[in-house]
Amino acid sequence: MGHLLRIFALGMTALVLAMLQTTTPPYAMLTGPIKTAGPQSERVTSATFAIDVATVKQARVLAYDQFGKAVELDTSGMWVVVSAKLEGFRQTMSVRAATLIGASGRRYRQSQRAGGAPDVLASKIVQPGLPTTGLFFFEIPEDELSKMTLVVSEQYDPQLQDEISVSLTPLPGSPQDRLDIGPDGI
Amino acid sequence: MTEEDTKTARKSWRTKLLAAVGGVSAALLSLGYSVSQQKVATAVPQVDVGTPISAGRWTVSVLKAQVTSELPNGLSVSPDKRALVVEMSLENISSESSNLYGDLLVLSDIPDLPKPDFYLLRDRSILWDLQPRMPETVAAVWEVPVDLRLPETLTVHVQGAAFKPRDNLYAAPGWFPTGDVAEVVFPLSEVASGDGN
Repeated sequence: MGHLLRIFALGMTALVLAMLQTTTPPYAMLTGPIKTAGPQSERVTSATFAIDVATVKQARVLAYDQFGKAVELDTSGMWVVVSAKLEGFRQTMSVRAATLIGASGRRYRQSQRAGGAPDVLASKIVQPGLPTTGLFFFEIPEDELSKMTLVVSEQYDPQLQDEISVSLTPLPGSPQDRLDIGPDGI
Repeated sequence: MTEEDTKTARKSWRTKLLAAVGGVSAALLSLGYSVSQQKVATAVPQVDVGTPISAGRWTVSVLKAQVTSELPNGLSVSPDKRALVVEMSLENISSESSNLYGDLLVLSDIPDLPKPDFYLLRDRSILWDLQPRMPETVAAVWEVPVDLRLPETLTVHVQGAAFKPRDNLYAAPGWFPTGDVAEVVFPLSEVASGDGN
């Protein structure tokens, strides 16, 4: 009797330990971002900053002037340009990280190829109480365009910092062949 | 010596013997394992130029190699140097944008090479992130001293990486090196540059 009881207790202990082990949240989750989500039609607000996505455009060629020289960038997929307004609440900050999650769930970071374009939001400084507008540039295969989510945060892989996801409304119709970016955006 | 003492002595002798057998067999096992690992490591498949090689995070096909004095972005190489340029088609097949292609190719014939710079030939500029499922033609550039003797055929070892959904330290997902996955051997052509290199 005592034997059986001992074996039973041992089994139960193993079971409880296995359960504790499998349900332990990984380090990456414990120190992950503080997530806020919303649709494109609304202003999405986290504790430290807010974003308003104004327009999203797609084009096959991006064109702009850099240091007085015309630059044209083509792509094997599509350029997606997001114009947005950021507002910080507590302190001077910048929103350097922007990722577009495509229809397949793959994560496309903003393209540094277009890093010299005018009005790039990632290189701007956001002062509290002073809304700042600008552009995010992405390069993405065409079959990812049907469902996209924009994810922004102060830096890539934020830890215990705010991260805002904005689900973008599907893009209407066919893309432009060429998108000119002037000094005032798109 | 009492009977009790004899028993204890025999027991301790037996324990020692057991420990010795255990230790020796562990050493033999680990030796055998490392020998078999060495055997596996030398059996790297030879791949033709232009064939896609699946190297975990990247799919790469090496296209050509040449020695030149002009960098892919149009600038010339620093004085007393020349550029060893390996062109390839590179595709990121992981789930996110990445610029971790610096260790992908190893040129084992040439000692003491620095890390290569990568250029995007579409823009003729420095390569940054490669986006998933958007293959690009890129060039890896090693700047080598002019007087370094380069071999006529170049051997490129492609380094693989394996994805682990939970690593051993943080239980976080990540890519980990798996060593050589393929070897490409091809001629190294010299581009006439006019300055006598």
